[in-house]
Amino acid sequence: MSMDRILIVEDDADTATAIARVVEGLACAAVIAPTLADGLAEASGDFRVIVLDRMLPGGDGVDAIARFRAGGSRAMILVLSALGRAANRVEGLEKGADDYLPKPFEPEELRARLRALLRRSAVDLSSNDLMAFGDFEIRLKARTVHIGRQHVPLSPKEFELVTFFARNAGQVVTRMQLLEQVWNLHFDPGTNVVDVHVGRLRRKLEAAGSQAIQTARGEGYVFAPLPPASGSKEAG
Amino acid sequence: MSGVPKATLRLAAVVALTVTLLSLGGMALQYRIVADRLEQQTLGLLKADLDGLASLYEQRRIIALRQAIDYRAAAASPGEMLVLLARDGTVLAGTHDTWPEAVEPQGGGFAPEGALRFAAHGQNWLGVGRILPGGFPLLVARGLGSVEGTLLSLRRAIVALGLGMLAAAALVGWIMARQMLARIARVNALADRVAGGDLAARLPGPRSDDEFGQMESHVHAMLDRIEALNRATHRLSDTIAHELRTPLNRMLQKLAQVQGHEAVTDALRADMRAAIRVFDALLDISRAEADQGQGGGLLPLDLAAALAEVWELYAPLAEDRGLTLHLDLRPGLQVLGDRTLIGQMLANLMDNAVKYCRPGDQVTLTLTEGADHHILRLADTGPGLPDDLRAEAFERFTRAPRDLGTPGHGLGLALVRAIAARHGAKLALPATGKGFVIEMLWPKLGANS
Repeated sequence: MSMDRILIVEDDADTATAIARVVEGLACAAVIAPTLADGLAEASGDFRVIVLDRMLPGGDGVDAIARFRAGGSRAMILVLSALGRAANRVEGLEKGADDYLPKPFEPEELRARLRALLRRSAVDLSSNDLMAFGDFEIRLKARTVHIGRQHVPLSPKEFELVTFFARNAGQVVTRMQLLEQVWNLHFDPGTNVVDVHVGRLRRKLEAAGSQAIQTARGEGYVFAPLPPASGSKEAG
Repeated sequence: MSGVPKATLRLAAVVALTVTLLSLGGMALQYRIVADRLEQQTLGLLKADLDGLASLYEQRRIIALRQAIDYRAAAASPGEMLVLLARDGTVLAGTHDTWPEAVEPQGGGFAPEGALRFAAHGQNWLGVGRILPGGFPLLVARGLGSVEGTLLSLRRAIVALGLGMLAAAALVGWIMARQMLARIARVNALADRVAGGDLAARLPGPRSDDEFGQMESHVHAMLDRIEALNRATHRLSDTIAHELRTPLNRMLQKLAQVQGHEAVTDALRADMRAAIRVFDALLDISRAEADQGQGGGLLPLDLAAALAEVWELYAPLAEDRGLTLHLDLRPGLQVLGDRTLIGQMLANLMDNAVKYCRPGDQVTLTLTEGADHHILRLADTGPGLPDDLRAEAFERFTRAPRDLGTPGHGLGLALVRAIAARHGAKLALPATGKGFVIEMLWPKLGANS
């Protein structure tokens, strides 16, 4: 079985190396293209994800997304750019990026984003109604959560939150990801408003006997409703 | 255009009055000349009469005068008066049978000097009263009736002409002013379009070769410059972001390589994030200010929905801090807006409320529909703004001395103002007894276009 390949279009050598380190930490192969033209030439290869800078020699990566697609690439595109203000992020997503991470970035944040993208490109988001993790059950249509036989009453937002966690079960989910994916907000509110929401959800789940949500120190949260299998991989 | 522009009216009135006054002045001068000439003429006639009578008197004294006056009286014209009295005051001869009371006979022979005006027999006269040697009073006068009649009709003509002139000048002035102001109105309309957000708006067609054309060219040059500055601001903020974030990024990656020292590396990370936040806020503010009033990039959206999202995001945090929240949003109020910016705006306000209010305080967000605007109002019962800070509350880096212990950079309200301005919303800080109240008047969708 060949390794998944990730294309890194990035002109700053230090940054490219840092990205490559994260990519290799995910057991993927990194290919670095230092210019937009190189990136477009490489993109015809079989990549799962393209990490794309914006202010590149040769042009703006976001403006080139359409050309990557036109070239037949079916990779997920993660824009990783110094143009990191809310307006830039929204613009990138509107122009077809699958995710947008501003520089400077924490390696953990990039790792979480890449994992989520690899997963999204692998599984078609479950059209299943039931997501079950042992006795932890989420019913999407009914919008209910049961732990054992016990129904856990959740607010609509908390339900969306737990669903997002469940879709990324076992992986670190960052606060920024939660804001973007659950609240669809692309600015940094400064205060840790998200923590309060997660805290409430967590207390409700704990009251029902589940320790599913764990804090990943300095990074975010992990949803792990089942006791971790021995030797499960947690890189870095 | 509603009603008549004031400037048109004023200009037309000034033109009409000036033209009319000038021509009235001219006519008054002519009138003066005519009146003088007519008086001279009358005086000439009077002198001729006196000369004639003098030469008769030379020949045969009173007898000759008497005969001549009788003769003239027989064929009397209404424009002359000759009266010769005897020493006892009885009329010896005369075109009229009484001596006018107003005239006191004097010496001086037949000279016309000292002729005086007087009224008698229903009209005005110019004449002299003399006492001839031997004590015979003689009155020689010429009627001013026809002269006055002429002057009267002249005056009437002047008044009629003046009124006509005023009307004509008003009309001409009106037409001229309309034409002139129509060209100014073109420039005004352009300014309105630019203010409405269309920075690329220009007047169509070539510039005319006059002052108006020059004005239009100047306005165009000004707009070109504003547009270029606006573009430069956008470019500059991108460049700043790139130049700042790229080295910070390298630092952060190297920081990730550091083993141990977690307290130090965490603090460094937090400091870097804070620095980025300040820069982002500054760039967001200048971008929103540069885009101020520009419709580009704004989409129709439900203001209540955009506000509710962020309100719900902050609600648990505020509740945990012991604040009581009240939300009253009228749903479905549409504005032309940027969802992210509106979110940032409310996030900044909520952040302040959470930061400054104490447990037990209330925070109320309402959105109502006013006559011309949607009225957004956020009120809390916290410490409010210090009075001396109200004027500059929306300036960058404004912080109350009492808040220096609270984290922040004084950029929140500056961003709020910039975002409001970006949407054409009017901001106000109504005075309240207690707490902080901010009011925003949002233009209704469709009201402005």
